[in-house]
Amino acid sequence: MSPTSKSRTGRISFASLTPNNLGTVRKLNSVLFPIKYSEKLYSEILLPEVEDFCKLVYFNDVPVGTICCRLETKEGVTQLYLLTMGVLAPYRSLGIGSESLRLVLDAAVAHTKPAISRIYLHVQVSNDGAKRFYERNGFKEVELDEAYYKKIKPSGAWVLEKIVHPSA
Amino acid sequence: MASTPSKRALPSKESSLFKELLTFYETRQLKKGQKTADQILKKFPEHGETLCMKGLILTHMGKRDEGRELVKKGVRLDLTSHIVWHVFGLIQKGEKNYEEALKSYTQALRFDKENMNILRDAAHLQTQLRLYDGLVETRHLLLKLRPNLRQNWIGLAIAYHLNGNLTEVKRVLEQYERTLKNVPDYDVEQSELMLYHVRVLEDLGELSEALSLLDVNAKSRVIVDRVAIMETRARILSKQGPTEETEQSWRALIQHNPDCPDYYKGLLASKGIDLDNITDSNRAEALQILRDLSTQLPRADTPRRLALDVSIGDEFQELVRDYLLRGLKKGIPSLFVDVKTLYKDTPKWMTIEELVEGFRETQENGGSLDDPSIPSAHSSPPSTSHEAPTTYLWTLYFLAQHHSSRDNHFRALTLITTALTHTPTLPELLTFKGRILKRLGDPVEASVAVNEARLLDGQDRFLNTKAAKYKLRAGLIEDASDILGLFTKKDAPSPGADLEDMQSLLYLMEEGNAYRRKGRLHQALKKYHVVRKVFEEFEDDQYDFHGYSLRKSTLNIYLNLIAWEDNLWSHPAYVASAIAASQIYVKVHDDPSVSKDALSSGTSTEAEKKAKKKAKKAAQKIQEELKKAASTSTNEDKGLEVTPPKDEDPDGFKLLTDPEPLERAWKLLSPLPALVRNNIDVWIAVYDVAVRRGKYLQAVRALSNAKALDPEHAELHLRYLHFRKTYSALPSPLSGPVGAIVSNTLSSLLPSELSSDLYNSQYLQRHPADARAVFSAARGLHLLDHPKEEVEDMIFGVLNREAHLQLKVALEVLAFLQGIRSARAEEFRLACDQKFLLSSVFKNPAELALLQREGSPKEEQQEVIG
Repeated sequence: MSPTSKSRTGRISFASLTPNNLGTVRKLNSVLFPIKYSEKLYSEILLPEVEDFCKLVYFNDVPVGTICCRLETKEGVTQLYLLTMGVLAPYRSLGIGSESLRLVLDAAVAHTKPAISRIYLHVQVSNDGAKRFYERNGFKEVELDEAYYKKIKPSGAWVLEKIVHPSA
Repeated sequence: MASTPSKRALPSKESSLFKELLTFYETRQLKKGQKTADQILKKFPEHGETLCMKGLILTHMGKRDEGRELVKKGVRLDLTSHIVWHVFGLIQKGEKNYEEALKSYTQALRFDKENMNILRDAAHLQTQLRLYDGLVETRHLLLKLRPNLRQNWIGLAIAYHLNGNLTEVKRVLEQYERTLKNVPDYDVEQSELMLYHVRVLEDLGELSEALSLLDVNAKSRVIVDRVAIMETRARILSKQGPTEETEQSWRALIQHNPDCPDYYKGLLASKGIDLDNITDSNRAEALQILRDLSTQLPRADTPRRLALDVSIGDEFQELVRDYLLRGLKKGIPSLFVDVKTLYKDTPKWMTIEELVEGFRETQENGGSLDDPSIPSAHSSPPSTSHEAPTTYLWTLYFLAQHHSSRDNHFRALTLITTALTHTPTLPELLTFKGRILKRLGDPVEASVAVNEARLLDGQDRFLNTKAAKYKLRAGLIEDASDILGLFTKKDAPSPGADLEDMQSLLYLMEEGNAYRRKGRLHQALKKYHVVRKVFEEFEDDQYDFHGYSLRKSTLNIYLNLIAWEDNLWSHPAYVASAIAASQIYVKVHDDPSVSKDALSSGTSTEAEKKAKKKAKKAAQKIQEELKKAASTSTNEDKGLEVTPPKDEDPDGFKLLTDPEPLERAWKLLSPLPALVRNNIDVWIAVYDVAVRRGKYLQAVRALSNAKALDPEHAELHLRYLHFRKTYSALPSPLSGPVGAIVSNTLSSLLPSELSSDLYNSQYLQRHPADARAVFSAARGLHLLDHPKEEVEDMIFGVLNREAHLQLKVALEVLAFLQGIRSARAEEFRLACDQKFLLSSVFKNPAELALLQREGSPKEEQQEVIG
């Protein structure tokens, strides 16, 4: 388990994803999100190039959250899409989410070959709390996609982004 | 040598060929050796020594049968040659036939009294066979022949030690040490030898001599093992009596390693306090010492934990509160197991329950555990909580374990469910949920929970093993094998075969028991016999150490090994396997149709057939590879040890249909009576086999031994009745002194003026509130040929509320009713199914199959674990 930091009442640490701890990721996703993710997602997040952007998050050595991203390259521009991020309810407001996001942002900044232009994500329009969280962490709303979700209501989603390397 | 027999003498050409042959063998140039032997045999086909050498070479080359025949022929042709007997001994030793090998070596020594190689091998065989008088003689001779070798001195000392003559050991060691000059620094072997010398003096009771020898050698740096010096010193000082120096020696050890309970025990003993028997007069003093050490050693858990054993009342409450809080905040998973030993004391577990339930409430109200004065905030609890959420989680986990250990499984289940809602990713919670469900009698759901834990961390072998074990408990044998296969060698014929090679007793016992529960007795017997094989290997394994330990002079450890081997067969896994197998053999003996039923029930399912095919293929592949390797390898030497032959009976059919089941049972049980005297199950198993073999004296003695352990034991009660019935039904009573002993012992167990019926009903009256006793008395009625209805009426008494029927007993009762083809078996099953809420073990086979199918989750197929 790599980088460690102290929260108010405990220790936050991160671990890379492996086929062996994927069961924990599945378990977390199943209670954190209303969506059942495809097997494709689970194979994507194991790819070696996203190792720095896909992590299990531990609080006092107990797995309590995940953060998972995908690298996308369009027309020579590389960007990071935040697929999922979540922390179990009892462990919220302890700085775990911000810490996880910072880890990924730092990794994105440090990433060269190719450099990452921006990081972006979708937030369901009903989820004000999440939107505020990302805005606090330097994200800006850039778009509203009215028909983003197909199976859950409301179907609208904000797109939020944070520029990493403007020139890239 | 006086005169060489004419038929042994070879002309000079052949004689030098024979010398070459010996050299070829020594250097393992086997093919050349074989050619040379053939050259001699062409002219002298009856030359015994050459025949033996050729046989030995062939054996090394893997042609054991042919080689063995030649050796035997060679021996017959030249009975007075030491070479032929030596060769024969080597072959027998390779077959692990130590008795016969020693006989051959003894013959060899008759014709070549001072052959060092033969003497050394003979000494190893004598040690293996525990023939210590002979060993002392052999070692004496070896030392006389080669007094300049250290291991010959050590060998003699150890021989005396094993033979129980410590005074001679001391003399030998002293004599040896006088011959020593210029011992190099940091000679570990010399260091071990001196530690051994100290131990010998200590065991002789010469404590001050032992101490000064230790001190001198510690100071001169001959003994280099610092911890051993400190421990030995403290131990010897303690034997001399409590002094200031004794106390200091233990304190030094505690500083060195503050988490070894024995050191604290030693320290307290030096103050005249027995930590295991604290009294009111020394409690305060003991506690003060432990409190002081806790302050001095803030990172050590042991003094804090020991203080919990010692303290009582308010002081206990204060100490245990700190201890528990520390553990819960740190998130120590084993905290409950750690304190569970305190539970034999009722006020202590009540205190713990009250405290931890209090912790839970405080946290649920958002209060602080460290400062009770901070009021519980009744607003939104989680965000204003003063404690880490993990502390709450570990609190729930602790409480679930607590209540389950108090047999309050429903409360435990509620708590663990709350914990899992809070944090579903902690494997410990799921494994414990499985344990609760198992205790509630639902092995199927239990295995689902434990498997869920396994899926959280595919890398964790502990979880993998647990999950497989729970599958076996739920009767899902193939699933278990698949799970175990994730961690076993990929090229093994099957996961089970690899675990057998790895000598996994857990696996062998659990799978054997699983087969037994399914009625597939042949496969169960097979596993139990493999357990025996493992212990035979343990016994053989010591052989190499008889030489190795002397060379390396690791003597203290070696003597511990010998003592362990002497008690090998008392190992719990062996005892359990021997009893289980003997019960199956007895069942087959009493009713041979049992074996037919088992064999026909053994018709394999499709999945099994597939697995078997796969295993067969894999085994074939391995054989082929071995062959390939053998033919290409440059090393033609296969050694002398017998390679295990192909298993002709992988499913145990031959074991189950053995014409002499009782003899097989007795073979398994026979090491136990001498070693395991305090286990009543052993005596009952011994009785069951002995009485059926017609060994009445042995049978009645087993009953006496059992009675000494627990005269009112339910199984024993039944055996009294059984023995009287069996013995009185003999066509002609035993005569002579044996007959007298048997009759006398019987009447001391079951007074002859008491009728069996009366005896049985008296027993029931003595234990009306014990389901086991009621069950035993009912079986007594059956044994005494009472009508079935009467037996059934009594047996249903176990369902009365006051009988406290336990699930395990209920299962035995059900099996008994089914065994006597009782019409009320079904009624009993349904009653139990209702009585044991949440259990699955009383479902009928169809219901159970359905549950099991649900218990094999489909998601596993998607899971990729690499």
